[in-house]
Amino acid sequence: MTRFFRNQGWVAGLFALFVLLFVLTKLIQPGYGSGDFGSLVRAVLPYAFAVAAQTVVVIAGGIDLSVAAMMALTSVTAASMMNGASEEYALFVVPFVLAMGLVLGALNGILIVVTRVPDIVVTLATLFVLQGAALLVLGAPGGAAADWLKASIVGTLPIPGLPDSIDAWVPKALVLLVVCLCIIWIPLRRSKLGLSIYAIGSSELAAFRSGVPVARTRIIAYALSGLFAAMGGLTLTMSTGIGAPIPGPYLLASVAAVVLGGVALGGGKGGLLGPIVAVFVLRLVRTDLTLLAIDPNVTAIIEGAIMVAVVMFGAFITIRGRPAGAMP
Amino acid sequence: MKKYLTMVPLLASAAFLASVGVSFAEGKYTIGISNTVQGNGWREEMICAMKAQALASGEVTKLNIAHRNTDAAGQLEDIRNLISAKVNAIVVNPADPAGIKAGLEEATKAGIVVVAVDQAVTEPSAYIISNNQEQYAYLGAKWLFQQMGGKGEVVYMRGAAGASADSDRDKGFKKALAEFPDVKVAQEVFTGWQQDQGKQQILSFLATGAPFNGIWTSGIDNVIVDALVESQAPLVPVVGADNAGFVGQLSSVKGLVGAAVTNPGSIGGAGVTLALQILNGKKPAQQTVLVEPQLWENATEEGKAKLKAAADPSLSPEWPVSISIPDWTTYTKEQIVACKGPGE
Repeated sequence: MTRFFRNQGWVAGLFALFVLLFVLTKLIQPGYGSGDFGSLVRAVLPYAFAVAAQTVVVIAGGIDLSVAAMMALTSVTAASMMNGASEEYALFVVPFVLAMGLVLGALNGILIVVTRVPDIVVTLATLFVLQGAALLVLGAPGGAAADWLKASIVGTLPIPGLPDSIDAWVPKALVLLVVCLCIIWIPLRRSKLGLSIYAIGSSELAAFRSGVPVARTRIIAYALSGLFAAMGGLTLTMSTGIGAPIPGPYLLASVAAVVLGGVALGGGKGGLLGPIVAVFVLRLVRTDLTLLAIDPNVTAIIEGAIMVAVVMFGAFITIRGRPAGAMP
Repeated sequence: MKKYLTMVPLLASAAFLASVGVSFAEGKYTIGISNTVQGNGWREEMICAMKAQALASGEVTKLNIAHRNTDAAGQLEDIRNLISAKVNAIVVNPADPAGIKAGLEEATKAGIVVVAVDQAVTEPSAYIISNNQEQYAYLGAKWLFQQMGGKGEVVYMRGAAGASADSDRDKGFKKALAEFPDVKVAQEVFTGWQQDQGKQQILSFLATGAPFNGIWTSGIDNVIVDALVESQAPLVPVVGADNAGFVGQLSSVKGLVGAAVTNPGSIGGAGVTLALQILNGKKPAQQTVLVEPQLWENATEEGKAKLKAAADPSLSPEWPVSISIPDWTTYTKEQIVACKGPGE
């Protein structure tokens, strides 16, 4: 248990913050219940995938500015393919769009590795390219989504043997999120590839001298980022039933949650759980601000202030907590 | 040291609680508002009209305003938060007509009155009070093409790519264009409804030296006239919206021929009125109420008189001058300019 807290201290702190915010929400709005929690998870979905996309490349020592544009492109592609098509056709659309995200993400990685142009420049360029491509696919918001896809994030998942009162707190959207993230993240984390991603993020030179294929690992990290972004794009289409070519506010939100989630922007440190819990925290703060009817021009300031306060306090604790002599 | 970590949330929430101040006023209803464009003059006027109307009605205890820059998915989040806040009615300016259907349906199911303003929504249970955007563009474009003598090159300065109000206006513009086969589009750009962006675009266009005979704008208008004057370019006919700055220019800039098409941001106040009427059991005959645009031009004496009557230099240049809608809004000019809601 102590060891868990030592390794996961940051995540545990964030989780405690989430629980505290939840209690606060209950105090503000005593009627806040399982249905509202379901709404929260549905709001979290696109942010969570955007953050997952960002986390993978940040751990690998990079940054991906094209996350939101990638989500917009995959979302409009899915929505325009499903427009007027049969329900079964969506079974083909989903893997197609995921593959598209994977390929476009890999392209980001290849451009960075081959041209040696800094990742921030390459992904900024692809941001514009993908944004333009999204407008080519759909000039205005439109398209459609298969009913079964839309239904897959609405309501709760009945689990046999579980009483209804608990079951109500297991929304389908949460199950979808957990399954999609775990299916990729857990095997990755336990594989040599996952270790290589952390290694090139920590020190590219050390990783190279240890025989890690740096270029290949980087390309795969960006490909995975594209895959997560495509999942995010799909959840946008699933929740709205349309595709919108103008990217939403997911890029900055993803960077914010990565930082709040305890992932070092320099790379090599952190996990996926922290940023995901951070997304829940940030969305719940938004809910509380709405419940309290705070002046909307102040809400963004409060959101930003909370983030900075938490990160600064965390950094302070980390420095103070270091044993004497461990300072670099 | 790990025990300090538990203080992270404590401290954060203390800061959070300290920043919270809630006040209450007289009235019986709580109204939720959802808007997804922040920092745009038109939308700010809409929000102020909502606040002023809620205050003037005396029936609203509290406004719960979710007002930020976001997409349809973010608006769904806001609408669901407003449902959690148990408001009596939600007045929404939709990010997309179809994209927020699920949230509006859930609101209606929860017994909340839903009114969409400015743009239509596909959810059948929602009431809609909106400016007719297609007609807005058609009216202005037709007038512009007539001023150009039915031929020549037009600069087409649209709104935000992909926004539904922009695509509706595009339909109206194309309809007028089809009636004048000799008018060609010299340049088509998206201003994103941002003043600085629009000005940059017209300056780059002027720098090319390409000929043009008229400019149609989707409401980013006064900076375009500024650019023409500053770069001493020929003052071609310009069509814009009824923004205070542009309406003033139509009377003051020498040699400028132009027209302002009304697109009142005060439609927000009308939305609050409609929501209150429905809450009080007075449902409108139709689900959709359309407010038709008017055109004020300075090419005729009659038009000039209309412009003069409408001009209001005391307003911010980005604010539409039509700050009230007869029969729908009851607030005073002071109230909308003050931009205070109940309890503020």
